[in-house]
Amino acid sequence: MKSVIIGAGVAGITAAKTIKEIDRDAEVVVIGDEMFLPYKRYLLTELLCGLLTQDDLIFLSLELLHKLDIKLRMGESVKSIEPSKKLITLHHNEIIPYDKLLIATGCIPSLGLILRPYKSYIQHYYSLNDILVLKNRLPEIKKCIVFGKGVSCLDLISGLYNLEKQITYITKGKRAHFGLKESEFKDKLHDFLEEKGIDIVTEDRIVSIDTSKHGYRVDTLRQKKLTADIIFGWDHYTPNISCIENTSIKKRLGILVNARLETSEKDIYAAGDCMEIYNPCLKKYWINFGFPNALEQGRVAGENMLGREEEYKIYETITFNLMGKSLKARWWK
Amino acid sequence: MRYSEITIRFCGIAGDGVVSSGKIFAGACAKIGLHVMVNDIYSAEIRGLGKSSSTIRFSTSKLNSMGDGIDLLVGMAAKESIVDLHDIKQEGSVMYDTSTPGSVVEEDSLVAHITPEIHGYGIPIKQLANEASGTNQGKNLVAIGAICYFYSLPPDMFIEQIKAIFARKGERIVETNITAFRLGYDYFKEHYPLNNQFEISKGLKPKTLISGNEAIAQGAIDCGLKFFAGYPITPATKIMEIAAKELPKLEGWTLQMEDEIAAISAVLGAWFAGKRAMTATAGPGLSLMSEMINMSVMAEIPAIIVNVQRGGPSTGLPTKVEQGDLNIALYGGSGDSPRVVMAPCDSEECYNGIQLAFDIAEKYQTPVIFLSDLFLGQRIETVAIEPNIDRERCTRKRPTPEQLKNYLRYQITDDGVSPLIVPGESGAIYSITGLEHSVTGNPNYESDVHSMMTAKRFRKFESMVADLPQADIIGDEKAVIGLAGWGSTIGSILEGMEIARKRGVTSKLIKSIMIHPQREDLFQEFFASCKKIIVPEMNYQGQYADLLKSRYGIRPIEVHIPSVNPVSPLKIAQKIMEANDELSQ
Repeated sequence: MKSVIIGAGVAGITAAKTIKEIDRDAEVVVIGDEMFLPYKRYLLTELLCGLLTQDDLIFLSLELLHKLDIKLRMGESVKSIEPSKKLITLHHNEIIPYDKLLIATGCIPSLGLILRPYKSYIQHYYSLNDILVLKNRLPEIKKCIVFGKGVSCLDLISGLYNLEKQITYITKGKRAHFGLKESEFKDKLHDFLEEKGIDIVTEDRIVSIDTSKHGYRVDTLRQKKLTADIIFGWDHYTPNISCIENTSIKKRLGILVNARLETSEKDIYAAGDCMEIYNPCLKKYWINFGFPNALEQGRVAGENMLGREEEYKIYETITFNLMGKSLKARWWK
Repeated sequence: MRYSEITIRFCGIAGDGVVSSGKIFAGACAKIGLHVMVNDIYSAEIRGLGKSSSTIRFSTSKLNSMGDGIDLLVGMAAKESIVDLHDIKQEGSVMYDTSTPGSVVEEDSLVAHITPEIHGYGIPIKQLANEASGTNQGKNLVAIGAICYFYSLPPDMFIEQIKAIFARKGERIVETNITAFRLGYDYFKEHYPLNNQFEISKGLKPKTLISGNEAIAQGAIDCGLKFFAGYPITPATKIMEIAAKELPKLEGWTLQMEDEIAAISAVLGAWFAGKRAMTATAGPGLSLMSEMINMSVMAEIPAIIVNVQRGGPSTGLPTKVEQGDLNIALYGGSGDSPRVVMAPCDSEECYNGIQLAFDIAEKYQTPVIFLSDLFLGQRIETVAIEPNIDRERCTRKRPTPEQLKNYLRYQITDDGVSPLIVPGESGAIYSITGLEHSVTGNPNYESDVHSMMTAKRFRKFESMVADLPQADIIGDEKAVIGLAGWGSTIGSILEGMEIARKRGVTSKLIKSIMIHPQREDLFQEFFASCKKIIVPEMNYQGQYADLLKSRYGIRPIEVHIPSVNPVSPLKIAQKIMEANDELSQ
């Protein structure tokens, strides 16, 4: 049986490992669009700060890859899927047949309509490639502007703080809360950051960016004029599911799956940040972000691709280290 | 990553511009002031879409060989490039075209064969070329642009090189190619911003590129070549092409003959008439020339035969390298047929060596077989050749006025060399024959005459030794592991020795452009100082090792590599390490 997994993140690789650990003879091909061995994305800021090396981030080593006999194809993306023929086509028109297919393509940071024209001025902060590019630029960076939401934004601010950069954080909210619903620390977060010297601009947003002699000039909705050497930001995360365009696989924001992580198409599964699953607490479909969730989803998907009938149980919180403080986080009440 | 040395291979089929990629790249690197070596490999078939590749190695320091492995493979043709993936070094990279028309199955997909140990970079090469030119032309320029960004090489130098190469095709072509280059550069910069750094130090001066074949032709012309006769044959044809272009400008002649026998005959005729002359061929041509080389020996008419060796026997491997013609060069004649055999190891030696060959041939009235090989002949490299131009050079031993009065063409002398005139000189008769002859040149089959004349012909070789260059001893003089090599293998030996040295084992090499005769005293002394002797060469039999064994009574470790590719320095390093291990036991 040939299992093809699109996405070499935590969910995809965990599924691959699960399949090979159960069935040594199964053929497993993992297709990842990044140029690196699978790595732990949540440790990227530690790499940026020099607290970890690139090797420390590796999630699946070459040795293990060979030992498990998983065929990993890096730097490749999927152009289309034909569920009726059980074929996928890669970006260079190579056709790969499959018996079981897992889509674990994660999500990508996206910009809204206002900022999209300034895309080339905004530094990505999502992949290992982004961090390596950024590391090369670090010596020339002093002033940073960050806008966005979510724990990953807080993680970036924390990293820049450790690197002793001057930070301005712009938020649409009245206070900086990064979408955290956890009551333990969320009310103190804004003041905590200000005490650390982070300049927080509230109830505002960037409306235009231009280059200047020394970096960038930023205009905000409230007519603030700011300057920076680098601008980080994203408006939201979007499931990365362009490969299912022109298929009948059901989706909303992400690919819809049942508790066994099956999509609407036979023998096609989805796991990780690219899929939406029904949350009985919320009583609606919802994306279950986070490393431990991806791990568990990968395991469940892998087992089910081998014909088992495992169900995924939702994890609710992650633990986050903020400048020495342990912070529990979740995204819903 | 930071690099001070990189090896790139363009791999494709006819029409992909693979060979011109190598030339453009090499030209730009030479302009920057880097050391460059380029090796092209192509199929033997004249028609059809055979695979071809161009490998370029460039460095901030001098290069002796193509080294081992490649850092970057540019797969212009997917299927044909799959096998080359094995040559990529750990952490190396491959660039491939993502704009493949139609669908590709896994077995034929280059990308499907890329392992996680190497990095794959997809570029829509065809698509970008089409954007620049409206056709598929310029794909190689797109790839070169991408590489330029990938290794942080200065784009200006490449643009300058594109202008220089395509200027004769008109401004539109130049602009199209520059656009293709820029599109490749910008695409890579946008999609793969994380690039490498090739460290170019300041103050580098542009270098000159030359191939072994070009160096031989130029060296010959600069020392007075007046007549070239030949028959086209891979990989030697380039020499005739240069002669055909350059000799008429210098009141010289180039004749394409009906075959190799006619070519060597014409060369003997030209020398007989007093002109410096040469032919160039490959193994099959040398076989055909055998009898006329014997004629050169017997009649003591000088001759220069350049043999650019390729894989054999018979038609063999016309576009692949081998050092398999040493035996035929040394022994390929009937009777006792001494001849000089020389083998240059790089382009610089090709230039200087061919001039020495002419001087020896003319002074000692003997054929000189100049053994180059396909790798040396066709590779282009940056060299610092000091031009040595004397087109009226003459090293022949002229008769004194007294000798001319009673001229004896084959006069017996202490050094074996008889005074030599040009036929038609007043008062002298110049008689030649392929038959054994007396001092007058008239046929004579008496035993004593044959013994005397044979001894005379061999005595020239004893006299010649005083004129021969010193053998070079390279490496650690105190080392007890010695290597002996010849021709283009020398470069790989030098790099192999360096690899072993870095691993803590020193060795030394004896090398000489002279294969026969040799400065035997120097070789004897060298071998006496070695506990282990290694003789690597690109043939199955160990032809040079056999020569050394019979000549010096040594028992070397023979490394026979009948490979179609230049010798791997790593393989030589391994042999040195093994020899060291044996000595340590």
